Amino acid sequence: MKNRTSISRRQFIIGASAAALGTRLKLSGQVTTASVTSAKSRVVLVRDLNALDENGSPKYAAVQEMLDTGIKALTGKPDPQSAWKTIIKPNDIVGIKNNRWAYLKTTAEVENSLKKRIMEVGVKEADISVDDLGVLQNPIFQKATALINARPMRSHHWAGVGGLIKNYIMFIPDPSVIHPDSCADLASIWDLPVIKGKTRLNVLVMFTPQFHSFGPHSFNPKYVWKYHGLMLGFDPVAIDATGLRIIEAIRRDYFAEDRPLNPPAKHIAIADSKYHLGTADPQKIELIKIGYDKDSFV
Amino acid sequence: MGTLAMPENVNDFYRVLPGTIAGWTKPDAPDLYTPENLSKYIDGGAELYLSYNFKNALALKYKDPGGNEIEVDIFDMGSGPDSFGVFAHSRETIDDRFGQGCEYAAGLLTFWKDRYYVSILAYPETPERKDVVFKLGRAIEAAIKDTGALPPIIGLLPAENLLPESVHYFHHYIWLNSFTFVSNDNVLNIGNDTPAALGKYRQGGAAFFLLLVRYPDSARAEAADAQFRQKLLDGAADGLRQTKEGRWTGLQCRGDLVSIVFNAPDESTIRAIFAKIKN
Repeated sequence: MKNRTSISRRQFIIGASAAALGTRLKLSGQVTTASVTSAKSRVVLVRDLNALDENGSPKYAAVQEMLDTGIKALTGKPDPQSAWKTIIKPNDIVGIKNNRWAYLKTTAEVENSLKKRIMEVGVKEADISVDDLGVLQNPIFQKATALINARPMRSHHWAGVGGLIKNYIMFIPDPSVIHPDSCADLASIWDLPVIKGKTRLNVLVMFTPQFHSFGPHSFNPKYVWKYHGLMLGFDPVAIDATGLRIIEAIRRDYFAEDRPLNPPAKHIAIADSKYHLGTADPQKIELIKIGYDKDSFV
Repeated sequence: MGTLAMPENVNDFYRVLPGTIAGWTKPDAPDLYTPENLSKYIDGGAELYLSYNFKNALALKYKDPGGNEIEVDIFDMGSGPDSFGVFAHSRETIDDRFGQGCEYAAGLLTFWKDRYYVSILAYPETPERKDVVFKLGRAIEAAIKDTGALPPIIGLLPAENLLPESVHYFHHYIWLNSFTFVSNDNVLNIGNDTPAALGKYRQGGAAFFLLLVRYPDSARAEAADAQFRQKLLDGAADGLRQTKEGRWTGLQCRGDLVSIVFNAPDESTIRAIFAKIKN
């Protein structure tokens, strides 16, 4: 793991709100956000140009450091261990819901970094499971007391984008039942007993978000953007809404025109207005940006 | 390459494809998909194909000794218009090297011919893999003897200043927002019996969009016209309304055809393009 000196070399920037919380992150003196309101949903965006290797794959040490930095800013605790203790208890049974899409995964680096910190809290390894398609059959997920929701954001042929709200679609036996009207009611899944009230942390992986879909598998490397980021928060709607703003801005930059996602990712706004899962309103989101800030788009 | 009469269904393409090519080996059998199980295969992307009346698909993966894969997918969309529609949904350029139109980018070749939409993906791309992708594309293209009809409605888009790579065809309201956000709702009552065309125009540095929707009869066209006028044009009697960004939206209903211009720089641009629509 890198030391603090290496962090400060990488143009770390921290929002005033994180500083106000007394976090001990190295500061460059640059302030990129200012609003601090307890009623707002806090979203922490951590970016590190050192997060990816020359092939675009995440580097474990950098990922661990980014997650640690993010959870400290999110909770206001001085170190990752005490931060994790505020959201996970030693007797918890923890399901880490990942996304195994072949072209853009949650990544083992993120999963293992999360698992390491959860085990440090005192959770037994046998009480932790990482799963995607098999969550309904997975005994750990069936009896889970805590969920960690972690996946990348990508453009999606039918939902506009796939993000944190959509990541729980595998908790319903037939995901196609949620498809009408371009997956408008995805947030309804979060009211299911197997999920409701259990999500302790959401992590939106923005290392290489996909901003445009092309071909039957929706993937083309031409349309992924090296963003070098991770977003953390307790409010999945606030994080998805922020991630969506980034995706839309990348599209404007790439296509050199306003090119809306097709279809629009309306399930994010509906998660707020209809299901009250969180807030999609940027005015109600406290965005803390840490690290590399060029072309952050938010 | 195999020799075969024109494939009558996607299963036949398996025999057309070579058993080995440049060290890549075809699997013993392909996977076949129907509307009922397509979502098991393309994981969230199936709805796009279902919205274009998807019939069935063949999928197989060539493998090299290192375990790398080249994915071949052939979709029978049932008709030329729907094959074109699903192809044009995400194309960015005009390229006629394969079939009746193709796109190649970073290891992914897609093209359409007759009622078939074809995708061949080699990721990550290398020059050698690109060569294999193109050879497989040639084999599939050659096996499809017929050509497919284009959707008649796209022929109504005035050609002057039209960006041909922008032309979209659809009959599901979800695809209404391709170039500019129109609505989350089905404000034009678009459905399987209402073919629609959307094109982007560039004139004097300004870009605007023309949507055409053909209804089964004039009564349904007039109903769609009235609904759009009320919900998005504040009931404008002349069918024209300026947006808060200073651009113009214009609506016209003639017989069974509804035409809408979005993002026009001025009213005269809307009137001029409406006058060029041959109905």
